[in-house]
Amino acid sequence: MTEVQIMTQDQETTKVPEALDAAAEATANGGDAAVDSGVADSGEAKENAAATQAGAIVANRDMAKDRPMTAVKRTPNLPEKVSVRNLSFFYGESRALSGINLPLYTNKVTSFIGPSGCGKSTLLRVLNRMYDLYPKQRAEGEILLDGENILSPDQDLNLLRARVGMVFQKPTPFPMSIYDNIAFGIKLYEKVKRAELDERVETALKSAALWGEVKDKLRASGLSLSGGQQQRLCIARTVAIHPEVILLDEPCSALDPISTAKIEELIDELKENYTIAIVTHNMQQAARVSEYTAFMYLGELLEFGVTTQMFTSPELKQTQNYITGRFG
Amino acid sequence: MSDHIVKAYDQELEVLGQKIAEMGGIAEKMLSDAMDALVDSDVKLAQATINSDPRLDVLQREIEEQAIMTIARRQPLAVDLREIIATIRISNDLERVGDLAKNIAKRAIKIAADVRIPRAIIGLRSMHDSAAMLLKDVLDAYSQRDAERAHGVWIYDADLDALEDSVFRDLLTFMMEDPRNISFCAHLLFCSKNIERIGDHATNIAETVIYLVTGEIPPIDRPKGRTMLSETSTTVG
Repeated sequence: MTEVQIMTQDQETTKVPEALDAAAEATANGGDAAVDSGVADSGEAKENAAATQAGAIVANRDMAKDRPMTAVKRTPNLPEKVSVRNLSFFYGESRALSGINLPLYTNKVTSFIGPSGCGKSTLLRVLNRMYDLYPKQRAEGEILLDGENILSPDQDLNLLRARVGMVFQKPTPFPMSIYDNIAFGIKLYEKVKRAELDERVETALKSAALWGEVKDKLRASGLSLSGGQQQRLCIARTVAIHPEVILLDEPCSALDPISTAKIEELIDELKENYTIAIVTHNMQQAARVSEYTAFMYLGELLEFGVTTQMFTSPELKQTQNYITGRFG
Repeated sequence: MSDHIVKAYDQELEVLGQKIAEMGGIAEKMLSDAMDALVDSDVKLAQATINSDPRLDVLQREIEEQAIMTIARRQPLAVDLREIIATIRISNDLERVGDLAKNIAKRAIKIAADVRIPRAIIGLRSMHDSAAMLLKDVLDAYSQRDAERAHGVWIYDADLDALEDSVFRDLLTFMMEDPRNISFCAHLLFCSKNIERIGDHATNIAETVIYLVTGEIPPIDRPKGRTMLSETSTTVG
């Protein structure tokens, strides 16, 4: 075990012979094959012994896996709408998420932050099994929605996606009228009379704070709206079918500050009735809209806790480095 | 703590830290000089002390402006946010310390002409030494980001409060003995009050330092009563 520590402490590497250094580099870049090539490069008899030792050390390191420190602070006695249990996710052979455990508390907003490639969007997409649309993507572990595992093979995916709605970064209205954008989803799941449909469309547009701006042009194409309006249309479309959970993947990235503010206001209103998860690159937005925040890095959940605590006094150095812009 | 990716951010925080250090130095010197002026009836020194105060005011205003700009520009979070809030609070406390020291210097000038009871000033000297130690300790704690040291200051202020009580009683006695002492002792009463207030400001700074380092605010009730002063011998001045 101490050998592994020598490999990982920066100040000790000067004491380690070069062959071991090469082996460490190679492992960082991935694969035992690289260790062998390191041995070949050195080419000296006495360094072979060191290289064999390097092989042993590398094996130890793989096993120890250099797990980072984590700080997950759950709030007890709070109902969990969604429970993620030991979730791992793979794009083909490549692991994108490792052993994620976290709650989405009912009627609370949970934000996901982390540098690019940390797996936050991937995690979001697992929550409504979007990955099922693509081959070679698979998930291991459990995700409980109201206590039932949605990763089980006999889960009805259409039903799941009606309960767990998603809004993407780029607004994606259907190439239909504003009215039909909303009505389409409703008609897909329910048999609804015209009068009731009108009412549902109006309610949905009102809950997305869009009704006032479009009520006189419901027949206009959804694509004729501005970016901010389109995004609110997408949100209206999502809430029209009465989901229970709403997933937002950087919903404001493409929007101007006023539209962003309107959507943040909307999230404040929606959380009374929905459980919301939001991925965002904007620290301040995460601090503003969410009650809980999850900080992810390289596919792992490093820190989870109450938002105000995370942004004023986080537990982990990495979290602090990331949110204060010290991530180098 | 590693550097920010945007270097200008680091520079802004550094400037704030330097200005606090400068304010701290001026405030400490003003306190020490005011006390010397009082003890030695040194009118020139007292005047020089009074003349140091405007610089403190300027620094405090600069710090506040810079801090607000940094907040607007950088939207600081976590330790950076606490850092900037701490800077604003500490600059306010140090500016008040300067004012209180200036006040002592003014009174030193007033009583220099007619020092009625030199031994009355001895009690004040003890108070001063105590307050000066608190101030020095807390400013060190700030520059070292040492929460434990700040906590020490936070507790030891109780000693200063007790000293002020005894000085108060002594001065009352002198005044009662001879009415001609009243004017002189009244000035000293104000001086003792000022020194006690300086101790309170040191406590405020200590609370701020603890908050800055740990992210937690110390409880409202300080432990009261006599304690030993700091064992680390630090000569003042």
